[in-house]
Amino acid sequence: MRPFKKVLIANRGEIAVRIIRACREMGLPTVAVYSEADRASLHVRRADEAYLLGPAPSTESYLHIDRVIDVARRSGADAVHPGYGFLAEKADFAAACELAGIAFIGPKSETIALMGEKTSARRAATAAGVPVVPGTLEPVEGALAIRAEAERIGFPLMLKAAAGGGGKGLRLVKSPAELEQAADRARSEAQNAFGDQSLYLEKAITHARHIEIQVLADHHGDAVHLFERECSIQRRHQKIIEESPSPFVTPELRDRMGRAAVALVKKIGYRNAGTLEFLVDEARTPYFLEMNTRIQVEHPVTEMVTGEDLVKLQIRIAQGEPLPFRQDALTQRGHAIECRIYAEDPDRNFLPSPGRILALRVPGGPGIRDDSGVYEGYEVGVQYDSLLSKLVAYGFNRGDAILRMRRALDEYKILGLKTTLPFLDRVLHHPSFEAGDFDTGFVEKVFAQSDRDRERPWDVAVAAAAIRAHNDRLQARGAGEVAAAGSSGWQRRDWRRSEGPF
Amino acid sequence: MLFDATVDGRTLRVEVRGRDGRYVVTLDGRALEVDHQETGPHFASLIIGGRSYEAGLEKRPDGYNVVLAEDVLYVEIRGASQGAAAAPRKAATGPARVVAPMPGRLVRVLVQPGQQVEAGEGLLVMEAMKMENELRSPRAGRVAELLVREGQTVETAALLVVVE
Repeated sequence: MRPFKKVLIANRGEIAVRIIRACREMGLPTVAVYSEADRASLHVRRADEAYLLGPAPSTESYLHIDRVIDVARRSGADAVHPGYGFLAEKADFAAACELAGIAFIGPKSETIALMGEKTSARRAATAAGVPVVPGTLEPVEGALAIRAEAERIGFPLMLKAAAGGGGKGLRLVKSPAELEQAADRARSEAQNAFGDQSLYLEKAITHARHIEIQVLADHHGDAVHLFERECSIQRRHQKIIEESPSPFVTPELRDRMGRAAVALVKKIGYRNAGTLEFLVDEARTPYFLEMNTRIQVEHPVTEMVTGEDLVKLQIRIAQGEPLPFRQDALTQRGHAIECRIYAEDPDRNFLPSPGRILALRVPGGPGIRDDSGVYEGYEVGVQYDSLLSKLVAYGFNRGDAILRMRRALDEYKILGLKTTLPFLDRVLHHPSFEAGDFDTGFVEKVFAQSDRDRERPWDVAVAAAAIRAHNDRLQARGAGEVAAAGSSGWQRRDWRRSEGPF
Repeated sequence: MLFDATVDGRTLRVEVRGRDGRYVVTLDGRALEVDHQETGPHFASLIIGGRSYEAGLEKRPDGYNVVLAEDVLYVEIRGASQGAAAAPRKAATGPARVVAPMPGRLVRVLVQPGQQVEAGEGLLVMEAMKMENELRSPRAGRVAELLVREGQTVETAALLVVVE
């Protein structure tokens, strides 16, 4: 075991802040890195040290391996936490850390490579006896080969980028006629996103749930799972609400998926926190999709129900410590829900909505956790992911957690840009969500229709706007009178100087 | 003060009377008693019929984006034009659903199913907050559905009339 002296966080936004918090609580000094666009970002303000990486484009900053390694050397950091995204699943980066004698808080570089290439991950899962979605176990090249495999698998099917993730290079193909064009687009998307255009094919599982298993594995061959997360509420193939436990998972299914996950990570010599994503069909048959060899965005829901701190455990594992518990010591207690607050306009197909945060009011009270990367006055740019914050509600059971999340969403106010807050509030009130009755098509197929015809609270909105306009004019008129008469006429109450209830 | 407010493509004549926290806001002839406090440069607390609302207000060149818990609405506000009714900025299309703006009792029903109505014509009279408020048709058209009867008590947001 080798305790770290200083940790560099090779990331930005809420996850960088989350990791800094864990390090500070462990007494570990932190080093932030930032791009020219991020000088005023929260992670820079919260870290003990901060170093400029380069210009705003990620390739010049957060994805620039040499520059990150150079900062680690200069600052004396002996460990690097990659967060999620950026360099987190780049085997080259883990290898560069290994070469530089800096601990990479994650698995070995060859494990990242094995699980990062989606078809080799599918082969590894199959070898460990974990069922995968029926499809190809090798990348498929060329239009002819794709057509032949498609005929074998049958429609509908999914085209996926072999190097992929995050919904990029992903196409649902419903019929043979759509195949060629879909393949062209998926290939070019994959090339742009991952620099690798190879594709593989999977049978499309309809009415599927997206359910994932959290694992932890140490350097001593020990591994446990920390149960499931339900991630079926998605927009544009990306998660937006997650919870644990899943209302769909039975104790038998949980046990089966957990055992499969532990078997796979032991087989591949995994170490670190990790997540195995599954699709679960209506008959509750799980199919392995892919493994994320890093901390996951939605890790807080697992932390809330298990009482374990996954980021600290990642660091302890990387220091060589054995897992501090065995499988039978872990339980799911209560229920947790996470809502992702993005700077996006849900009424315009979740178009990013950059801008300055004019005002920010964050909820509090029992059972509420806000993992945020922003502050009032912060300028949300267009360069990076638009995730502002993750709001997490804990309850004694699912109904309790839903009620708590609704009231916390009511309390949460972000002004200055469009956010997913009102959309999340409406999803939390939808009867199908409340009943736990949804699959990955819920937002697009069920929610969007009822939401289009929603009653909007226009009367309250008009009253609020008209009174504000009325008061502004009274004030302007009052100011005019004061100027004319040179005496102290009526003036609008100035909230800043008020002795009122503030 | 008189304003024309446009929200979701619909223009309403709005009158605001009062100051220092207590106002009567009349929306197309329907009066709301509003207790209003500014709670910051971009926030206001409103109490309407005993219900408490927290509204965020983002200033825009011609009005406000009003941020409520469940929705965000852009309200364009102009000083009222001369004449009885403001011309809607764009023609209202699709059926208009008239809902109860607050809990109350329907004291009079002014229309029959199938009847043609003009925009701004009274549909129902509702008693709430000790005041009688006329609910008017947001658009010209035919009364497609009348879902309530005289004397009935309704909750906020109950669907009352559909005009198409």
